[in-house]
Amino acid sequence: MIELRGVVAGYGGGDVLGGVDLSIASGSITCVVGPNGAGKSTLLRVISGLLAPRAGAVLLRGADITGASPAAVIAAGVVQVPQQGGLFGDLTVRENMLVGGHLIRRDRARLRRRLDELTDAFPIIGERAGEKAANLSGGQRRIVEFARCLITEPSVVLLDEPTLGLDPRASALVFETIQTMRRLGVTVLMVEQNVRFGFNAADDGIVMERGRVLLADTSAALLERPDMAALFFGAAPASV
Amino acid sequence: MTLAQTLIFGVLTGGVYALMSAGFTLIFGVMRVINLAHGLLLVCAAYLTWSLWERTGVDPLLLGCAISVVMYGVGWLLYRTVIARAQRIDAEIALVASFAVAVAGGGLLSLVWGTEARAATPSYFNTSFEVFGLVVPRAQLYACVGAVALLVSLYALLHATAMGRAIRACASSRSGAALVGIDVERSMAQMFAIGAATTGFGGAALAVLYQFVPDTHYAWIGLVLCVVVLGGLGSFAGAALGALVLGVGEALTATYVDTRWTTAVPFALIIVVLIVRPQGLLGTRLRIEGSTA
Amino acid sequence: MTRRLAVLAGVAVLVAIPPLTGNIWIQNLLILTFLLAIMASGWNIMGGYAGYISLGHSAFIGVGAYTAGILAVRWEVSPFLVAPLGGVTAAMLALVLSLATRRTRGVAFVIVTFAMLELLGIVVSNWKGLTGGSNGLLMPLPTWAVEYQNWPFYYALLTLLALSVAMTAWIARSKLGLGLVAIRDDEDKAAGIGVRTPVYKAIAFMASAVLIGVAGAVYGYYVSFLDTSAMFDIALSMEVLLAALLGGRGTVWGPLLGAFLVQPLIELTNSTLGGEDAGAIRLLLFGGLLLAVALLLPRGLLPELARLRRRRVSRTGARLAHAEVPAWLASGRRARTGEALVVHGLSKRFGGVRALDDASFSAPAGSITALIGPNGSGKTTAFNVIDGTYGLDAGRVELLGEDVTREGPTRRAFAGLGRTYQLPRLFGSLSVLENVAVASGSFSWSGLGRIAVSGEVGGRARELLGFVGLGEYVDARASDLSYGQRKLVELAQVLMLDPAVILLDEPAAGINPTLVERLAELIRALNAAGKTFVVVEHDMQFVLSLCDPVIVLSRGAVIAAGPPAAVSADPVVLDAYLGADFAVEADPIGSAR
Repeated sequence: MIELRGVVAGYGGGDVLGGVDLSIASGSITCVVGPNGAGKSTLLRVISGLLAPRAGAVLLRGADITGASPAAVIAAGVVQVPQQGGLFGDLTVRENMLVGGHLIRRDRARLRRRLDELTDAFPIIGERAGEKAANLSGGQRRIVEFARCLITEPSVVLLDEPTLGLDPRASALVFETIQTMRRLGVTVLMVEQNVRFGFNAADDGIVMERGRVLLADTSAALLERPDMAALFFGAAPASV
Repeated sequence: MTLAQTLIFGVLTGGVYALMSAGFTLIFGVMRVINLAHGLLLVCAAYLTWSLWERTGVDPLLLGCAISVVMYGVGWLLYRTVIARAQRIDAEIALVASFAVAVAGGGLLSLVWGTEARAATPSYFNTSFEVFGLVVPRAQLYACVGAVALLVSLYALLHATAMGRAIRACASSRSGAALVGIDVERSMAQMFAIGAATTGFGGAALAVLYQFVPDTHYAWIGLVLCVVVLGGLGSFAGAALGALVLGVGEALTATYVDTRWTTAVPFALIIVVLIVRPQGLLGTRLRIEGSTA
Repeated sequence: MTRRLAVLAGVAVLVAIPPLTGNIWIQNLLILTFLLAIMASGWNIMGGYAGYISLGHSAFIGVGAYTAGILAVRWEVSPFLVAPLGGVTAAMLALVLSLATRRTRGVAFVIVTFAMLELLGIVVSNWKGLTGGSNGLLMPLPTWAVEYQNWPFYYALLTLLALSVAMTAWIARSKLGLGLVAIRDDEDKAAGIGVRTPVYKAIAFMASAVLIGVAGAVYGYYVSFLDTSAMFDIALSMEVLLAALLGGRGTVWGPLLGAFLVQPLIELTNSTLGGEDAGAIRLLLFGGLLLAVALLLPRGLLPELARLRRRRVSRTGARLAHAEVPAWLASGRRARTGEALVVHGLSKRFGGVRALDDASFSAPAGSITALIGPNGSGKTTAFNVIDGTYGLDAGRVELLGEDVTREGPTRRAFAGLGRTYQLPRLFGSLSVLENVAVASGSFSWSGLGRIAVSGEVGGRARELLGFVGLGEYVDARASDLSYGQRKLVELAQVLMLDPAVILLDEPAAGINPTLVERLAELIRALNAAGKTFVVVEHDMQFVLSLCDPVIVLSRGAVIAAGPPAAVSADPVVLDAYLGADFAVEADPIGSAR
């Protein structure tokens, strides 16, 4: 579904990503983990078009989307839920949903239908429709963001630290929502700091460090590796 | 003059000020741009209104609708050529740039229309209603009604249309807006142009209510700045409240102190508010905040 | 040397003009040019060096003119005699303005200056008893011979101009000037490294206004008649802005150059474009010019020319030399015994988010203490309340046994606290050496006047740069350095304060392993010399090899504190980092530790 070949990218002087190769299978849930500065968020920004890579290619279903604008990437079916600033706090839940459908706003019938479908799948949309998004709790906001990102019926959803700042109950809700997305046929690529959560929710796992992919395997296999704890809290893994 | 009469004048003047400041509030509230040429746009619209009224005799306040279309175009042009560019350099230079536009524009107005005082004087000019023994000037009242209508329309635009939602999304989070596919630059230009368009109505009212010369724009930018600083930049309710406070403040000063001190009121209020309570009565801070977590 | 000759030649020419030519038009042109140059030069101190842009500078002319005019008429003396008092009132006004900058900066300040100008104009105009109001104030007639009628004004203003340039040159080279540029680039950072910003600004603002006030008095006498619209003229403010921006703000000669270009242009348009439209064309022309300069040449002519000539320092990535901890630093301030830094019950909210939740910990004297925790756990917020950037909702901060909770960042820097940032904050307009030299662990009034970087201060700065390995880069621009080099400069900058406790915010982030090693060496050396460190880090290898004790934050509270071996084995800590908050299955991660 998504493929990265030799992607090099950065801001200002240095390179945050120093040659990344990876591939994401269609319909899967993949989780990317790694210490701070590993380049996880930058990876998502490159895919969603917020940052153009200096070298390498980004392919979606075989088509080259390297350096495409965010609007073009959304139109191609890839939507990102950022770490923060994604939900518009001053707008109500319903307005957020409508604005999420900005690119399909002209097709009123479709927008309406999607809104109804998502309200069914995520009851909170209907329950808190008229409330300002900023007044919702962290977990509820996250759910609204997820629902919103599905309004254009994307094939790929990029989640940047979905459980950041959430308590265990809200995290559980997020877990369920990610499974719901997969049931709806969406491919999910997420970045997580909460390693255990991430690998439990995902089929496949990718470990990054200092701008490169260190390990890539099924998440179950990665979870069982004894050096995972050490990786995040000490020495490098035994072998790559 | 009785207190009640003073207050009536104050409230009506406040309504006029709210009309003049609506566009400015919109632009600052959404884009964080302070357009010091706003007063110039008002006076320019006033001159256009006056010219059309002189030639055609159509009621100036109605002409406001046509003029606002012209001002939309002017606003779009101003944004694309000056404002967008200046904002990328830094905020203070952007202020200087808009100030320069105001000064140069004043010169241009003088060249085109000369420096004699003008005013449009339709039939209801200088007439008033009598309500419970109080004098209610007609033109001012129409302007107030216009102010309310304009503020309500702007609010509706922002809250009930897709364009309005997109614009508010940009104000809430530019990067978030980009991530839902909004063309942020285009939305900003539209926003600025709409703010400029409101000066069509404001200028028409100006032409009827006051005598004006090209240099009048300095006084008006002072009044508009005061309204938004008082109300707390960025909210319509705040601007309405600020306008009311200013209008009543001026009326009280005229009655109980001396009329020649009324022009000092807006400037004094600006200084006091920005130093003592920078967020104004209702709104967001204008001063630069320290870093957030 | 050639510059000095050129200046002397120019002065000689200007001095010689009145005796050589009786041409009134030229004398008048030069008088007005001198006036504009004095104003632009003064404006430059506030707007160019300190970075506070004023739209209201013609207020100082008005204030000076009216002060001298009123006193001259009342006391029946020559306005020249009371002209200095015009300078005094202008300086007082500027002082009040500087006090306002505590709460208003940036665009709010610009608006305040505009309002100030308009308000003063109205006040002066209304206060008829004192000022003659809109009737104006007639000045006494000149008491000297008609052949020399312009000479006193000419030479007075020329002298004031020379003084103004000399003052600017002196400020530019002094510690005051260095501090002002730092304030312009990053006011809060400047406060954190020991620049007493309120004092610096007050002096700069007064310096900006005083000579303009005197010049205003002279000008008022020259035009013989004071009238509020001419004296508090917004168009004049605009011309000052144009002259200063065109020539180059933040330079000594730029405003002068700008004035000598702008004023003749004004006179030219006045004389060639006669008739009633002249005023309008002038506004259009100069407004347009100001716009063009603001958009296309925001730095001004002189800086642009300098930029074209300056060669870039190549980033050679030279081997970092090894050096010893400077002696003065090794024997400098340190925490003796007990705890160097203690924080009790820190609580801080931002809106609904609790960034710090009753957090308490301490750093023992002479230790390298680590503060770790997942993203969002409150580590940077903790630093921000410790160094005084944020206030606390509740809690106490004690530095070297002293309660500093109520003190601002500058006082804490003087008390012995230094702090670096995740993204290094350096002053882009200054060279590497100047960046280090501007930091100061104490304040003295006399020190302000000394040369910015020489003598003991310069020597120390060089030693520190040598110590961190950047001795070769002393003259480079901060903006030309790599990320890692900037981190080292920031460390040197902070060391200049001779701090007893140093907070390092993610020192190892984003730099290559060699540099991380180097940094660890530097920290060890400094620690051996007595400095206490508190380090926020994510790089666990770095932390575990260097730090003891290790304090762990999670969701704003301390969940563990102790020696690295104990903390790294603590299951509570591992879970907070690896995330057992959510458990689908009960399997613990790998059993081997």
